[in-house]
Amino acid sequence: MKNIISELSHWELLEIEKPARYLGGEANQTKIKDNPKLNVCLIFPDLYELGMSNQAIKIFYELLNNRPDIMAERCFAPWPDFGNLLKQRGLPLYSLETGTPLSEFDALFITLPYEMTFTNVLYILDLGRVPLLWKDRTEGPLVIAGGPSAANPMPVSKFFDGIFIGDGEESILEICETLIDLKKSKTTFQEKRKALGNISGMYVPEFPAKLVKRRVFKNFANSAPPLHPVIPNVQATHNRAAIEIFRGCIRGCRFCNAGFYYRPKRERPVENIVKYSCEMLKNTGEETLGLLSLSTSDYSNFENLVKGLQESKLYPEQTISIPSLRMNDNTIKLLDETPQIRKGGLTFAPEAGTQRLRDVINKNITEDDIINVMKTTGDSEYRTVKLYFMMGLPFETDEDIEGLIGLVKRLEEIGRSTKPKKQISISLSGFIPKPFTPFQWAGQNSLDELKRKRVMVCKGLEGSSTKISWREEYLCLLEAVLARGDECICDLILAAYNNGCKLDSWFEHFHKEGWEKAFEQTGIKAEDYTRSHELSEVLPWDFIDFQTPRAFFEKEYRLAAQIAGEDLK
Amino acid sequence: MSVQITENIENPEEIKAKIIYTKTQQARYVAHLDNIDVMCKALRRIQLPYAVSQGCHPRPKLSFASPLPLGHASYCEYFVVTLTKQIDPEWLKKALTEELPNGMEVLEVITPYHDKRTKNKGDCVKYRLIFDNEDICNKALDFLNNSETTFEIESKGRNRQYKLGNAVKKPTMFHEGKDYIITADFIQGVPDVPSVSKIITALSKFLMEGKESLKLIERLSIQAL
Repeated sequence: MKNIISELSHWELLEIEKPARYLGGEANQTKIKDNPKLNVCLIFPDLYELGMSNQAIKIFYELLNNRPDIMAERCFAPWPDFGNLLKQRGLPLYSLETGTPLSEFDALFITLPYEMTFTNVLYILDLGRVPLLWKDRTEGPLVIAGGPSAANPMPVSKFFDGIFIGDGEESILEICETLIDLKKSKTTFQEKRKALGNISGMYVPEFPAKLVKRRVFKNFANSAPPLHPVIPNVQATHNRAAIEIFRGCIRGCRFCNAGFYYRPKRERPVENIVKYSCEMLKNTGEETLGLLSLSTSDYSNFENLVKGLQESKLYPEQTISIPSLRMNDNTIKLLDETPQIRKGGLTFAPEAGTQRLRDVINKNITEDDIINVMKTTGDSEYRTVKLYFMMGLPFETDEDIEGLIGLVKRLEEIGRSTKPKKQISISLSGFIPKPFTPFQWAGQNSLDELKRKRVMVCKGLEGSSTKISWREEYLCLLEAVLARGDECICDLILAAYNNGCKLDSWFEHFHKEGWEKAFEQTGIKAEDYTRSHELSEVLPWDFIDFQTPRAFFEKEYRLAAQIAGEDLK
Repeated sequence: MSVQITENIENPEEIKAKIIYTKTQQARYVAHLDNIDVMCKALRRIQLPYAVSQGCHPRPKLSFASPLPLGHASYCEYFVVTLTKQIDPEWLKKALTEELPNGMEVLEVITPYHDKRTKNKGDCVKYRLIFDNEDICNKALDFLNNSETTFEIESKGRNRQYKLGNAVKKPTMFHEGKDYIITADFIQGVPDVPSVSKIITALSKFLMEGKESLKLIERLSIQAL
């Protein structure tokens, strides 16, 4: 096989920002195997730095490469400078380990972490010279997707030969075994796709099943995390050894897709986490250990876990990073007693400005919780307080927006009285009604309405020291369309890509006009996808058995309406 | 592989080791700060007993040579690490090499290491420039041989004019297999003398399309002036 990397000259690489992103050869990279039975490429549809931080890529890379008969390589979306270089030189996008063009693999496994990477998938396939639509593929690799944004597979169903729903640890091996078997006999591409359909959790657009059941990795708690991840040659976004301490969430926030996608909650035991963390730190040499979960404080034995990790410290400068920690008196005390834990700032996600709306969305955080933590940490090293809010939540009124402003002002006042003073910053984002949540039927506020609410917050906090940042409203609208779409949305994504849209989550590359034109070209109206749905309506993703009954979501939605004092039709 | 400690020394601040390593193949394109990160992680993986700095954010006590320009290969990169225990240099050489990315290999470990230099007067850096075209190589040789050569380089948004002067010593050309090679000494770290990075950039502009013939730029040795 031709190694594309060797085709690139020194002077070409010098024109590229961070060329090490595209060259592989990192420590802990898998050894090149002689004639493996299956060659697959794991693709993360965003930059190297993000992809090298992604847990799914690490899990599958180790899982597959532990098999002597499978060689798994990596590929990430290139920054446009490198993408353009490949085009100019007439070279295809390739894998980092062997420089093999994507079109020469047996299968491409693409993880879809967020909707705004959908155009990147087309960008990668295009650069890799793999036909973009499954209908056009009769040879070359099978293109298989998975990940939280594939939970509703319909908006990307024209691009993939198979879309997997749920935890992939067991199924990825089943897929590979199926493909190894199929390679032995000369099977057509169509037969291969049909065989994929026999794997539980797999949706095959050519042979759509009436019901696809989300796969749950039941043995998660006893499984080992990836212990030998590749050490990036360009500093990763999350520059740390990361261990998932549990998967799933018990909170039940009604807007949260991840909270339902990763259900049920499965915890790794303390002794296993401590053992694996030590091993991982030894194998990576990372300075920081990151504990991953959706809500770390919900780990049932959190105090013992922190103590265990503290006692098994390997390096003098070792720190522990604990994101997604619900702050209260106990956690603050624990953090204060554990110097090893890195103390960045205090982060809260109240999401809504009033207790009424927080109850509606089932966000179990009160104003008193935040105020208590701010007072308790008054003279400590926590100097910054970051708050995340959503606007346009179901049953939201202007009083809730005023409540948000009032809450921030009260916190600001408390922050001023502490020594050192606390700097407050808030992040605003438009609510996106995601499939497989109790709010899947809810509508999204119009662009004008979202802007009006954002301006209301900005004006309300004018002259204050609070730093305000917000997510572009049009991105919120697009994300809702891409998350809740049906098969027609594939045409929208394809048109947008053809209009030059890619790397949409990067501010400098987001091409709004390209998307607007794509809506015009396809005749698709965003409002059809952002509108509220009747409870009786059939939704595009209803054929997925999410292992959380539709009736439960409906009950929760009704409960939210009841709290808000409204009746659902 | 476990740490090979040969001797405990009471004053850890005094024990230093100089580690000389290569940066070739893909590793040539690892930027300086990323290189430090990669090296720190490799030192932790072999559990080297290094000293850490004091303060809120302790770091391994490492001192790196000045940054190698991106894309230049090197057979003489080095850093100095402060140790809390004396270690077996052969063990360190082997163990660290096993943990480094492709293209990085430890050539020598000098410990205990005493940096005798009191004042940096600059360095003489030997380079090898490898071409695949004889005419272009000859043209490059003329450029480097002419001390009157002047060039302009943009730095921090403004253009500055440089004269080659005595920055390049003894450029010599020879032929090896399919390659045409220039070896030369570059004077570095001396006020008003252009850096090797600037000279190579100017050379590439001078060669225009012919620069593609310059396939490899290798740093061979560094000598203090």
